[in-house]
Amino acid sequence: MQALRQVVAFGGGGFSQESGNPLLDDYVLGLTGTANPRICFLPTASGDADHYIVRFYNAFRERTRPSHVSLFRRERGVPDIRSHLLAQDVIYVGGGSLISLLGVWRAHGIDSMLREAYEAGVILCGLSAGSLCWFAEAVSGYHDEVNRVPGLGFLRHSNAVHYCDGDRRGAFHRHLLDGMPSGFAAEDGAALRFVGDELVEVVASRPEARAYKLERRGSQVLETRLATRYLGAETPSEIMRGCAAGATRLMPVRQAAA
Amino acid sequence: MATRRRILALGGHDFDRRAGNDAICDLIVELAESPRPKICLLPTASGDPEDQIVRFRRAFGERDCIPQAISLFRLGEEPVDLRDELLGQDVIYAGGGSMVNLLAIWRAHGIDEILRECWREGILICGQSAGAMVWFQGGITSSQGEPAVASGLGVLPGSACVHYLSEPVRRRRFLRAISAGELEPGLGLEDQTGALFEDTRLAETISARDGAAVWEVSAESGSAREEELYSRRLEDNRQPINDMRADILELRQTLATRASRRRAQRRRPGRLD
Repeated sequence: MQALRQVVAFGGGGFSQESGNPLLDDYVLGLTGTANPRICFLPTASGDADHYIVRFYNAFRERTRPSHVSLFRRERGVPDIRSHLLAQDVIYVGGGSLISLLGVWRAHGIDSMLREAYEAGVILCGLSAGSLCWFAEAVSGYHDEVNRVPGLGFLRHSNAVHYCDGDRRGAFHRHLLDGMPSGFAAEDGAALRFVGDELVEVVASRPEARAYKLERRGSQVLETRLATRYLGAETPSEIMRGCAAGATRLMPVRQAAA
Repeated sequence: MATRRRILALGGHDFDRRAGNDAICDLIVELAESPRPKICLLPTASGDPEDQIVRFRRAFGERDCIPQAISLFRLGEEPVDLRDELLGQDVIYAGGGSMVNLLAIWRAHGIDEILRECWREGILICGQSAGAMVWFQGGITSSQGEPAVASGLGVLPGSACVHYLSEPVRRRRFLRAISAGELEPGLGLEDQTGALFEDTRLAETISARDGAAVWEVSAESGSAREEELYSRRLEDNRQPINDMRADILELRQTLATRASRRRAQRRRPGRLD
């Protein structure tokens, strides 16, 4: 049987940004179907920042078998990165600079190891740069302008994260009209779960967090709010609200850029 | 007068009080040849760690200059026009870390081209460890774990190996690479030593610590030959904080003995010939 190829792309959140709210992280761990999953953290996009690695272990120590791979201090790390990655249940990619992340991964051949792990059924997840990297193209706001950056292309869509500020929305719409493939955007606290190229679920660690599907329709951009399941829902009304069907907006160019 | 293009390649340096480090900071300010020079740290090779940036700002903040650090990992929070910012400096200092990552990140951001331009414009380029080797055709990196040959930007001819006696495994790999022709002949740079290049010529070597030397390494009938170069000793009156490991001292002694046999041939580098 072919392994399930899964990516969970966070718009923002998880242990990196939602201290005390483990809903998104728990959701990913739940997908493994294992009680004590092996999870490996790749903090490359932050330059392997020590404080980030410590926070990862603090967040996952008690319910998983955590490890990390540092590409800035390889002399002290796991000797065979490929087998280590292939042996994981989850590979968790931290946030930071997408351009630096991709540059370093390619220099160490991590991109092809991750492809192998993905195809072997290791769940890939991450936030910010760690979400953008999986897609064909990313709308990255990490540099002075909001740029279009080619990612690893495991998913054929485009992606934007932290989709709450106007700059990113405007840039995403502009790039779509420039020919960028259609894609998905997630706000902080929202996560997109893909099986293969197909979006199967949107979940959220906050009741108000949303995600959107974006596609070009002629000279307009169609932005559809996606049904989202709030992971912390306890009452039936919360569950209903969380599942509310998406509203569709057709946005002409001028309005889109506003 | 034509612009002098200069690179100061350091075998090992930090912005702390260990012996020789202060003298090297002084030298950098002096070489800037400008009142209150602007000095910019690129800590890319080690992932822009805060502690290195803090030490850099403190060390150069004590001197008559304007220190600044550009973090390529934090451009989101601190956006800058990289080209304008770098071309506006008097000195650019590339920190140590992973040479493979350094090159990959610089190339991904297009910084390698900007830095070549800075060098051509006469901005003094300094670098230590990975930040030194990166300017040569090649060096010995431990970026992948075991020391291995790595290509640099090739702004300077030849090769370089840093932390020369303090990391014996790296040194052995360098000697093997040169004897086998994997690397061009080059320099073995000990911690707290440096080689100053003008254009692409070695103009001077410096040492800021007792016994620390720069070695010229060349291929010689299937093996490698190490020759100690004459280095200008930098003076420093400050009290250093030091801890020299015994095995390093021993290796240094062995090499010094071997070198003394050839002392007659010891020569000055480059134009001082």
